[in-house]
Amino acid sequence: MPPRRIGDADSDSDVSILDDFDGVGRGKGKGKGKAIDRRVKDKGKGKAKEQPYAWEAAYTRSWDTVQEDEAGSLQGAVQELIARGRRRRLLAPASAIRRTIIRHLILVIDLSSSMMDRDMRPTRFDLMLQYAREFIIEWFDQNPLGQIGIVGMRSGLGERIGEMTGNPQEVLKAISERHKLEPGGEPSLQNAIDMARSSMSHLPVHSSREITIIFGSLTTCDPGNIHDTLEDCIKDRIRISIVALAAEMKICRDLCDKTGGQFGVALNEGHFKDLLFELIPPPVARALARTGGAPANPAADLMIMGFPTRLPDTSPPGLCVCHSKLKSEGFLCPRCRAKVCDVPTDCDICGLMIVSSPHLARSYHHLFPVKAYQAVISLEDTPNPAPSCHGCSTAFREAAPAMANTSDGMSPLGRYRCPDCHNDFCTDCDVFVHDVVHCCPGCGK
Amino acid sequence: MDKASHLSVVIDLSPTQWHLCSQSSNPHPLPLQLFLSQLLAFFNSHIACKDENSLAVFGAFPGKSILLYSSTTIAAEEHSVNADANTYRPFKILDSTIMDSIRDQLEALELLEAEAPIGLVGAITKSLCYINRLTIPSSSTTRAGEQAVPLDPRILIFSVSPDQSSSYIPIMNSIFSAQKLKVTIDVCKIYGSDSVFLQQAAHLTGGSYLHLDRPDALLQYLTMSFLPPPGIRQLLSVPTQDKIDFRAACFCHKRIVDIGFVCSVCLSIFCNPVPVCSTCRTKFPIKTLQRLNASRPLPMSNATATSSVPRSPAVQDALRNGTPTQNNGSK
Repeated sequence: MPPRRIGDADSDSDVSILDDFDGVGRGKGKGKGKAIDRRVKDKGKGKAKEQPYAWEAAYTRSWDTVQEDEAGSLQGAVQELIARGRRRRLLAPASAIRRTIIRHLILVIDLSSSMMDRDMRPTRFDLMLQYAREFIIEWFDQNPLGQIGIVGMRSGLGERIGEMTGNPQEVLKAISERHKLEPGGEPSLQNAIDMARSSMSHLPVHSSREITIIFGSLTTCDPGNIHDTLEDCIKDRIRISIVALAAEMKICRDLCDKTGGQFGVALNEGHFKDLLFELIPPPVARALARTGGAPANPAADLMIMGFPTRLPDTSPPGLCVCHSKLKSEGFLCPRCRAKVCDVPTDCDICGLMIVSSPHLARSYHHLFPVKAYQAVISLEDTPNPAPSCHGCSTAFREAAPAMANTSDGMSPLGRYRCPDCHNDFCTDCDVFVHDVVHCCPGCGK
Repeated sequence: MDKASHLSVVIDLSPTQWHLCSQSSNPHPLPLQLFLSQLLAFFNSHIACKDENSLAVFGAFPGKSILLYSSTTIAAEEHSVNADANTYRPFKILDSTIMDSIRDQLEALELLEAEAPIGLVGAITKSLCYINRLTIPSSSTTRAGEQAVPLDPRILIFSVSPDQSSSYIPIMNSIFSAQKLKVTIDVCKIYGSDSVFLQQAAHLTGGSYLHLDRPDALLQYLTMSFLPPPGIRQLLSVPTQDKIDFRAACFCHKRIVDIGFVCSVCLSIFCNPVPVCSTCRTKFPIKTLQRLNASRPLPMSNATATSSVPRSPAVQDALRNGTPTQNNGSK
């Protein structure tokens, strides 16, 4: 047996897929080039404290884990690795019903000179901007009622780059001009966190307050004691999550652990994205209670919201209350009949929160998740197995391949069964139903 | 028409609604038989437009949904169809497969089953799974890899049944996944009043929603509005809807509200202030309740007083017509 895993278990990146796959070696050199590439990339950076760092672990012959099938082709093995990686994501329990849905996030980006480092291609800075854009788009897709503000760390100061807003376009515009964000100087965690904290101080209790920091430096240059800032954040129930690009720092780990956030060090480009995107789904509200003596249910409140009427393009034009522009289309506030340009927003006249019902509905899948499908190990106890997938009607394979590995909740037959309607689904549909549709085709719920 | 397009069709085959639709008391009755023959002509013209065009037909029956025909899997069964000198062979295969499977399914229906709610959600999610498989030919075999990915996938829904308020969340979920897959959803409402959910589906995915004034002229509507793929439709002026209802149904009485009370934890919508959220069991602070009760618009309390009992027909009507509960904000 080759020595086991050295990466980290949480990551979805393909690195850990290779690491985890624990087959018996009969390997040829075919997978070699690629596998070595990946090994080299994640040398030098480790993640969680309980796991050994990459350079401390024994040397792994990762190419041994790839097996050829009878015809000498690697395709089957590669596909199984891919399927395994996608399925692992689904095994996480989807039971938590209370999630913070109205979120407020300050994204703190490091603009210190260490971001010009080229260990991630093309530079840390360019990669961060690119991932930050994707992060913002995906974040608003999953948290349509949330708001994002952006703060930069440059020359020892916290710098407000984008005001907190619920409009993705405005947030994206704030970080669109690269030349305005040119990195320089030292970063200051304390200044940035204080600035982020002060811009969230006015928020109502039922909304979440989060700070996500992308941190590329190994130093912080602070005017005071950063532990005081940490205490203030705990008091204000601000959750801090950090994605570090260089290495773990004690203060970063403390900031995250004590406020209930997540901390991770990126191993490579793909892992950086995974770490960042793990922060997108709304956090489970339970985590709030854990953070230092807060009451069990601090966040709940009943809010009054209005669902507007949408005016068509052909309606007679009128002035909107937000920009005072003459427009035909728009939304009418149901309480005061004022016309606003875009939803979700707060009505400028009566202060009513105006949302359209699709915005609310976008979050419902977090509340009513699809139950995880069970892998079908054998067909012996099924009287009439369906010949094809219930979702996409692809035919299932007849028998399990000889080298099938049934661990990790993988089905050797490629069948996954819904616990409610007992229909069988293929791997593709399993992932698609749980990641995208959030609605089982068999049960219709 | 330079690139191939994929069309998934969802047919609502509720026996009750089709019976009502074919009644001669309607101004323009459309029996199922006639509907199917016009539909097959439309399918044939879609296939004929371009050789690479693909088609999948899903039937929504009471309580279940079934794939009736798909142009990718049918090749294996081809030999079973008798050749006919007067018909183009692919048309013949398509027509007989669809008709046979519809007949089988309708004959297999028990009398009691026929009243079960229609499996529209299942049919829509299945068509999404199908399109997903076509667009991501990753783990399916090499055959799918070499065939060109259909660039303009779309779903066309023929609806005759009214909305079911219980399927609101699954339908919204399917709409959002269609948006993610860049699938256009077109809706053709043949019989009955407007469907609020399907209107939103067409609006959010950039498709068109068509309520037929003359159901007996179906083929005309189909060829003019739904035959061109979305790419070409930008050049045509396909009828669009102007007014879309963005009101939501409350969770407690399924009443359509324009000012609602929303739980901050799970975003459940209620039509009046409640002390405990029924979805996530969160208790709300007394202070908020008092404040909201005091600030609540008066007509709202009138409405709750007069119709405090949830009457399902009224709710159905309100859902169907997309009208607000009359005395909400108008007084």
